[in-house]
Amino acid sequence: MSEAAALDGYPLQCHVNGQLLRRDVPIERTLADLLHDDLGLTGTKLGCSRGVCGACVTLVDGAPVASCSTFAFQVNGCAVLSIEGLASGDGSLGVIQQAFVARSAFQCGYCTAGMVLLTKALLDRDADPSHDTIVEWISSNVCRCTGYVLIIEAVQEAARVLRAGSAA
Amino acid sequence: MSTVASALKQVGSSVPRSDARAKLGGQALYGPDINLPGMLHAKLLRSPRAHARVVSIDASAARAMPGVRAVLTRDDIPAHVVPFYGYYIKDQPMVALDTVRYIGDIVCAVVAESETVAVQALQVIKVVYAGLPVAASIEAALADDFPALFETAPAGIVPPYGAGASAALRPRKNVCYEFAYQTGSADAFARCDHVFEDEFRFSRMTHYHLEPFVSVAHARAGQIEVWASCQNPFPLRKEIARMFKRPENRVTVHVPYIGGGFGSKNNVKTEAVSVMLSLMTGQPVRLCLTMEESFLTNTQHAAILRLQTGVMADGTLVARDSEILLDAGAYSDASPLVAEKAGYRVPGPYRWSHINSRCACVMTNTAPAGPFRGFGGTQASWASESQLDMIARRLGIDPYQMRKHNLLKLGEPFMPGESGVDSDMQAGLDIVCEAIGYHGRQRGGAGPKKRGIGLAIGFKDGGGVNKPAQARVKMTTNGDVFLHCGTVEIGQGAHTTLAQLVAEVLGTRTERVSFAKINTDFTPFDQGTNASSAVAVMGRAVMRAAEALKRQILEFAALEMNAPVGELTLDDAVIVRGVQRQPLMPLVMRHFGGTGYEFSADGYFKPPLDHHAPLEAQCVFWEIGWGAVEVEVDTETGKLDILKLVASGDTGRSLNPLVCKGQEDGAAVMGLGQTLFERMIYDDAGRLLNGDPLTYRVPLAEDLPRDFITITQEQGHGPGPFGSKGAGEATILPIASAVANAVHDAIGVRITELPITPVKILEALQRAQA
Repeated sequence: MSEAAALDGYPLQCHVNGQLLRRDVPIERTLADLLHDDLGLTGTKLGCSRGVCGACVTLVDGAPVASCSTFAFQVNGCAVLSIEGLASGDGSLGVIQQAFVARSAFQCGYCTAGMVLLTKALLDRDADPSHDTIVEWISSNVCRCTGYVLIIEAVQEAARVLRAGSAA
Repeated sequence: MSTVASALKQVGSSVPRSDARAKLGGQALYGPDINLPGMLHAKLLRSPRAHARVVSIDASAARAMPGVRAVLTRDDIPAHVVPFYGYYIKDQPMVALDTVRYIGDIVCAVVAESETVAVQALQVIKVVYAGLPVAASIEAALADDFPALFETAPAGIVPPYGAGASAALRPRKNVCYEFAYQTGSADAFARCDHVFEDEFRFSRMTHYHLEPFVSVAHARAGQIEVWASCQNPFPLRKEIARMFKRPENRVTVHVPYIGGGFGSKNNVKTEAVSVMLSLMTGQPVRLCLTMEESFLTNTQHAAILRLQTGVMADGTLVARDSEILLDAGAYSDASPLVAEKAGYRVPGPYRWSHINSRCACVMTNTAPAGPFRGFGGTQASWASESQLDMIARRLGIDPYQMRKHNLLKLGEPFMPGESGVDSDMQAGLDIVCEAIGYHGRQRGGAGPKKRGIGLAIGFKDGGGVNKPAQARVKMTTNGDVFLHCGTVEIGQGAHTTLAQLVAEVLGTRTERVSFAKINTDFTPFDQGTNASSAVAVMGRAVMRAAEALKRQILEFAALEMNAPVGELTLDDAVIVRGVQRQPLMPLVMRHFGGTGYEFSADGYFKPPLDHHAPLEAQCVFWEIGWGAVEVEVDTETGKLDILKLVASGDTGRSLNPLVCKGQEDGAAVMGLGQTLFERMIYDDAGRLLNGDPLTYRVPLAEDLPRDFITITQEQGHGPGPFGSKGAGEATILPIASAVANAVHDAIGVRITELPITPVKILEALQRAQA
């Protein structure tokens, strides 16, 4: 690959929500813009665009990243999960999403995708997180609406349901 | 009430929110997601100067840049366009004309094929400024030797007021509007045993909504269409029609999902520029701001509040003379409306013989202040509830007893000509006192860490003033239901709770009720989603529409079934007559044929005009927030720990309890942020020192007090459907004063300026020891 080609477009290859993606992306393209603008995955929300608020969190190989502050080329060879990838094949919501619905753990919904993906990353690592662990994780994202209480309860409920499911 | 309650199937139940699937699945479309074919992107050049004449603008290099489609400067505004917008006072131009008035003021706009190109083009625009004196604070703007910020009067109005209330435009230098309210005689001060004067300072927050300000405008074939992140689509339509000299039916406003607003997503914000650029290019134009720009677009009001309060030795409140100065920022925006409310609410929920209240909007060279959750009530409650506590302690009266002694009773008018308060405030106070363990509390402590408990009752009139509401409910042949009304879903859950009302009346399930997308061409007119009015005002129009629809369907069925209408009821599109269950659909098909029919009915509600009421209509409902806080203060470091926070509102009746809890949790935590650390910091030169998402701190989950509870009371006295009232603002109101009162309880010193930081606590302790 010549240097000019590299500046013109980086040959990105990754998986997005389980689908193989191959395309040349400008080197300054952010992961958030790739998802939201190029792939039409508008569930990824840009809040502060500074890596602070967490609205744009997506999972890269299972780890939460601020997609506004991650270049698209950085996810080369990785598996990217956005909120759209959490639903089942028939479009029904997954366990974590259902817990957020059941506890009314969202209002305007702008932080919700980030919160849900953060929860997935947490519960993938710790199936039975303590209250303090949940608070520690959730504190990496901002929700201006809910006051967090119902979000914490939703995470607890999702953890319970997932544990019950894996025990069955 | 219990018999009614037990019969309810939808109301009072935490049914899943109707926007749950869209929002949890990432499918909900917000303003920034709107993408039209051929859409261009705009960015704004903002003033680096707090106050300056704009000597010249050279945008020639930007106009010549590849990919740039147009540049909007003051010279590009057509003569027929009125460049100014605002509420009562039209003083804010779409781009700067001769003067920039704050750092961040819009100087010009570029529209290009991409945001990147637009940003690059901004960098080659040359603007020459000539500096003018800067007033970055209320005191600076009011200083004797400081010049007038607006040399000539912008167009403005004073609306009619009722008994005791009045207002004036530009009553003195750098005050754009002053509201006043008086009742009783000032002679009352003469019979008081004590008169106390205290001054309080209120810092300003930014709304910090996560979704930025955004609009997409498309002007074509004589029609202007706007997709706006706006909670007041009809006022926005009116303002755009006025500015661009279009008939209102040639302007269409669409409202997608909104990612939070807390008051800010009101009136024109990005829309004047996006519309103007679309007119210039003939293509759709998207203007999406950054969060840093949100800080510069609309804020809460900083305030100085001086209260002179006369009391009897037994703690009876008698008279209050108050002066409130709001920092309106560079343009008036909604400041006059906030001044009305701050000035009117400052007596708090107590009985008085005399009130003399003035609230002035002071223009400064800072970002324009506007509507913010609490709307003047937050400022008023901070001062009023702090001073009441101070007076109680000065008189040696327990602050709880002092409140109890003076609180308005259920049904007692707030002021002459006003509606009666619709909460038992004493009952609410007792609830939070019990939850925090107020009576028999342990105060102080042996070591350097001292404990104390503070109480406060936040107070505001809710439901807006003289606000009409219209709704339309439709049922298809199959029994599927549409609800049309102008209430915007901004996160508060109103689309769900209003759908619950419709489902309740029609005997159907909430999930069968679809809230029609808001489009000002089709949606019944509405003045806006504000003042916690969705349930108590719009809810009544929705109920009437649903009831009218039900009557219409039953009357139709009565004719078709040859039965007396009085014997029929409606159960999920089935007509029930005794044991007979007749589905509606066959009746409709037999009568109408073809593809059937759609029943449709309208509902209307408006509080009556009333010149005897101070604000020209009696308050719809009273939004009360009770707070009780236990703190521990480290007297060596000034560190303040909130050990327990109890916040409570009275929804009258919770249409959806979890939705109500979410409102009360969220408002209380926003109040906690205001109390402890949130503050936009301006220096004397008008520079905002923390105008970015990292250095401006908002509450995170880890900032929640370990023991934080909200208690939703359902006292049942509200004027809304099933005894409901509005919700969403109550619990922001009492937090700051309750914390200040708790700090005083713990360490005997008073903090009168927000936020309550360790530094201020240490300074207060040092002053007390000196």
